[in-house]
Order: sequence, then structure tokens, then C-alpha cells
Amino acid sequence: MTEQPATSHPQPLFRLPLPLLLALAWLIPGLGHFLLGRRLRASVFFVVIAIAFVVGLVLQGELILPTAGDPLSYLAAIASIGNGTLFFVAKSLGLGQGVVTSASFEYGNTFLLTAGMMNLLLLLDVHDIVQGHKEW
Amino acid sequence: MVDHLSLMTLHALLVAIYFSFLWKHGRRERWFYFWKVFGALMVGAVALGWLMYFFPRP
Repeated sequence: MTEQPATSHPQPLFRLPLPLLLALAWLIPGLGHFLLGRRLRASVFFVVIAIAFVVGLVLQGELILPTAGDPLSYLAAIASIGNGTLFFVAKSLGLGQGVVTSASFEYGNTFLLTAGMMNLLLLLDVHDIVQGHKEW
Repeated sequence: MVDHLSLMTLHALLVAIYFSFLWKHGRRERWFYFWKVFGALMVGAVALGWLMYFFPRP
């Protein structure tokens, strides 16, 4: 990886405590990067995650919640809830119930879980940027 | 639009864009990485599909 000149590093819009920054980054995909001054990346992340989430809902996927006696559902729930506000808004609107009999059910799940995991991975990236492990 | 290949392509497209912006810096590096990830996902899925041909359905 090529080193970038120090002058090209984006400057944060606000100096926020790391936990608050991570919480905001989780709630709105890309917001963490936006607050750190990475506007292009923030926009791309938001669009990509939002598209994946909406496609998942359209394909009648399920926003999975933990189910007692089903250990895998806990992992899936982490990925689902990783979508942040998108998850809560969809749940409050009654979306993401999942239609098991639909041919696209598993495809929908894949998109929803992928969107959530991509958003969670952004939290690690925000953490790395704030800690100085990643300069851009 | 709800066939397996289209959805797989859309998924690969989104994932490739995401990782090219997450892990690479600079337009050239990102383009290169995008095609690498996208190609790997598409070719890998098709190759895996052909490989599964040898395993009969139960």
C-alpha cells in the first residue's frame, strides 16, 4: 500500500468521544466516516448498505431476532441488529417478517445479513481511524 | 430479476464496491480491487456450482 502525504488526510468534522462515534456509526451506516471527514466513503457505504437492506426486504427476507434453543439465531440476530436504524425502522413498520415459503426468502436473508455485517465492519474501521491505525 | 444469477451479481457488485472503498485508497487501486473481488465472487460461485454437479441430490 502506498503512503499518502500527510496533507491529504481528511479532518474530522467534530471531535466526538469514541463510544459516541461508534454508536452513531452503528445507527446510521456511513455516519462515522462522515463525521471523520471521509465524505465520499461515507456516501458509498450508506448507499451500498441501504441498497442491500432494501433488496433484502423486497426479497421477503427476515430480520432475525434471537430464538431460545437456536444458537445460530444469536449470530444472525447480531448481524440483523447491526443494520442499526434501518433495522428498527423496518421492524416498527412491520417489515422483515420473512416469508419462509417465498422462493426468494434465503436470498433476502443473505442481503439483510450482509448489510448488517458490512455496517458492523465499518465500526471497526472507524475505530482504527480514530486510534490512528489507518490514516485515510 | 429474481433469478439466482442476477441476485448473485447484484450481491457481488455491492460487496465488491464496499470492500474496494473500505480497504483501498485511490481511484486506480479501488478499480483494480473492485474487479478482483467481483471477479472472484462471480467466477468462484460458478465454479462451485459446477463442482456441485458431481454431488447427486439426496
